[in-house]
Amino acid sequence: MVRGMFKSRTLRRVFRKTPGGRNTLTYRKRKPKNHVCSECKKVLPGVPRERPYKMMTLAKTHKRPERPYGGVLCSSCSREKIRKQVRT
Amino acid sequence: MIFEVGRVCVKLAGRDAGQRCVVVDLLEDNYVLIDGLTRRRKCNVHHLEPLGEVIKLKKGASHSDVSKEFKKLGIDIPKKVKAKKAGERPKKVRKVKVKPAKEEVKKKKPKKESIIATAKKELEKKVASVTAPKEEVKKKVSPKKKTSKK
Ligand SMILES: [Zn+2]
Repeated sequence: MVRGMFKSRTLRRVFRKTPGGRNTLTYRKRKPKNHVCSECKKVLPGVPRERPYKMMTLAKTHKRPERPYGGVLCSSCSREKIRKQVRT
Repeated sequence: MIFEVGRVCVKLAGRDAGQRCVVVDLLEDNYVLIDGLTRRRKCNVHHLEPLGEVIKLKKGASHSDVSKEFKKLGIDIPKKVKAKKAGERPKKVRKVKVKPAKEEVKKKKPKKESIIATAKKELEKKVASVTAPKEEVKKKVSPKKKTSKK
């Protein structure tokens, strides 16, 4: 029987091939949710979906688009926001 | 035409988004040349938000002209700061103690060679003395073997 902690679905299951050729079940931590636009809740492209230890190793320019509101708003929402600021 | 030469705009897309710029030249249908707080570059009209102001500019005006006109509006364009050239790296200087050690090694080498040379000479002398009788021995041995085989 598997250990009790592996019965729950908090960890995700991955089949890995051992050097001997057998397939074994291993358990990994789940990735965080996708980053979404704070206004329209669309998934933000250009923001990687990784655990914090992996994000720490990435360069700053790999973590969000290099524009104002990059990584917070999607491109269309950021355009709208700048337009509103300019017109008022 | 909203997008005429000299129209002040705000860029909406890309890394220069939110920065003010001026239309310097008209290119193809929807494209214009812009300059100002943004980089001097070709830009789609859909990525620009036109403002009310219009500057008097010649078609294809240079960056210095644009910066002069922007100063009148009260906008200072910061000059491009050229990246500093990397200075010479501090070279690692080895400790002074190493130098005399090297000289010693140089002195030792000829000594070794001389020792080897003398040893070789001695060997040659020995060989010369030994080979002569050995050859005689071999001559003595070789005919015996032949006889045994036959
Ligand atoms: Zn959005």
